[in-house]
Amino acid sequence: MTLSERMLKIDRRIIFLMIGLCTLLPLLYPVGLPIKISSEVRGVYDHIESMPEGSVFLLSIDFDPASKPELYPQAIALLRHAFKKNLRVITMTLWVSGTGMADQLVTQVAKETGKENGTDYTFLGWSPGGQAVIINMGQDLYSAYPSDYRGKSTKELPILEGVRSLKDVGYMVSLGAGRPGVEEWYVFGKDKYKFEMGGGCTGVMAPGLYPLLRSGQINGLIGGLRGAAEYENLIGQKGKAVAGMDAQSATHLAIIALVIMCNLFYFSLRQQRDG
Amino acid sequence: MIFLRRQLPLLITLVTGLLFAAQYYVPHPASEQMLTSATKWLQIVGGFALILGVTSLFHQHAVKIRRQEAGWGYSLVLYVGMLGTIAVGLWTNGKESVEGTMTAFGWIYNYMMVPLQGTMFAILAFFIASAAYRSFRAKSREAAVLLVAAVIVMMGRVPLGEYLIPLSGDVSSWILNVLNSSVRRAILIGVSLGAVALSFKIIFGVERSYLGGGKE
Repeated sequence: MTLSERMLKIDRRIIFLMIGLCTLLPLLYPVGLPIKISSEVRGVYDHIESMPEGSVFLLSIDFDPASKPELYPQAIALLRHAFKKNLRVITMTLWVSGTGMADQLVTQVAKETGKENGTDYTFLGWSPGGQAVIINMGQDLYSAYPSDYRGKSTKELPILEGVRSLKDVGYMVSLGAGRPGVEEWYVFGKDKYKFEMGGGCTGVMAPGLYPLLRSGQINGLIGGLRGAAEYENLIGQKGKAVAGMDAQSATHLAIIALVIMCNLFYFSLRQQRDG
Repeated sequence: MIFLRRQLPLLITLVTGLLFAAQYYVPHPASEQMLTSATKWLQIVGGFALILGVTSLFHQHAVKIRRQEAGWGYSLVLYVGMLGTIAVGLWTNGKESVEGTMTAFGWIYNYMMVPLQGTMFAILAFFIASAAYRSFRAKSREAAVLLVAAVIVMMGRVPLGEYLIPLSGDVSSWILNVLNSSVRRAILIGVSLGAVALSFKIIFGVERSYLGGGKE
């Protein structure tokens, strides 16, 4: 067996070890390389920045714990920004398995920024129906969510004063890890009820949402951990996303090195066989 | 019986299909009220669909356990996990915490579901790296183009890549915004036209597979 053949059949545990080290070492010894802000992320930031105090901001946390490493930092950064701007923050989820996580997330950031439930923000929780919930909220928010996650009647919440449906929402961001997510919010929500909208998603989903972004159907897109890191930089509060960028840098380069190596061995083997 | 099994569902599909397609273009209060009621029904039906899904899952795994088919032990774990979670969820009224104190349901969610789902997703990185090494080879011109594009985007999406090759960020952004967007848009338009055609076929009763294949 030649070297190329041996290298192409390398034990996958060596690759696992390499990826493990590339993730772990930068987390233990961070470098902190500068992160360039993209126009996609800036679109969301600038819109929230331009909203007057007391405007209604809806954040739909449409992911479950599987996508937590990428989307949780995005949600934290967005909530910190919205609370800093003193917006009226309405949060909810279309993913039943993400309900507990979403509640903890909202409560944690609200506590950190000294915001009060019911007055400054609310978490509506989950309601069955997927896209039907979006249409129902567009028709009548109180019908879709008669009570919030804590069981308080939504009609009695001071934060929802003057908010009857999605038409009264100033800006909406869906942080989606699949369906229902950003696309459903656009198709069933924004298109009919005419509110401004931005999106956030996992890294692998981002390329699929670029057509919505380029056509102006969403005004910004926070893609993956990189997007979250950019947002953290924009609000000036570095968190887990910025910390994770070194690890992501190292793993990306490791995968690129592996792909180049595998191709070099592949072509060398082919040359040997042809020759 | 044929009327109930065939003609009535076709009639309901035709009437509701046409009605709700037209509703989108009619902003009259009566039309909006109809949409409000229908979506409320949809939410309720969605809730029942969840019960149906859980029942079907239970039935499928009960058969596996009864017949002691290969991997029936996993079905047993599923049964214990689901019944345990449902029981604890009902006992705690579905709340993860009460006045800041974590309930048993919250404990299951935070210390079992969250780490399990996180682990499943995290090991993907290892398998992707291994799969990339084994199969991402420039065996043809098309594969070579894909390979080069992937390497540029991977470089351009991380700070270290941009630091080493400053142009990679802009090139990666161009690939995503121009090449990727145009191709995705073409696919989206094709899929959407297909969905419109299929909807018409269902509404007008040409496509009937959703009715099932029972004897008439």
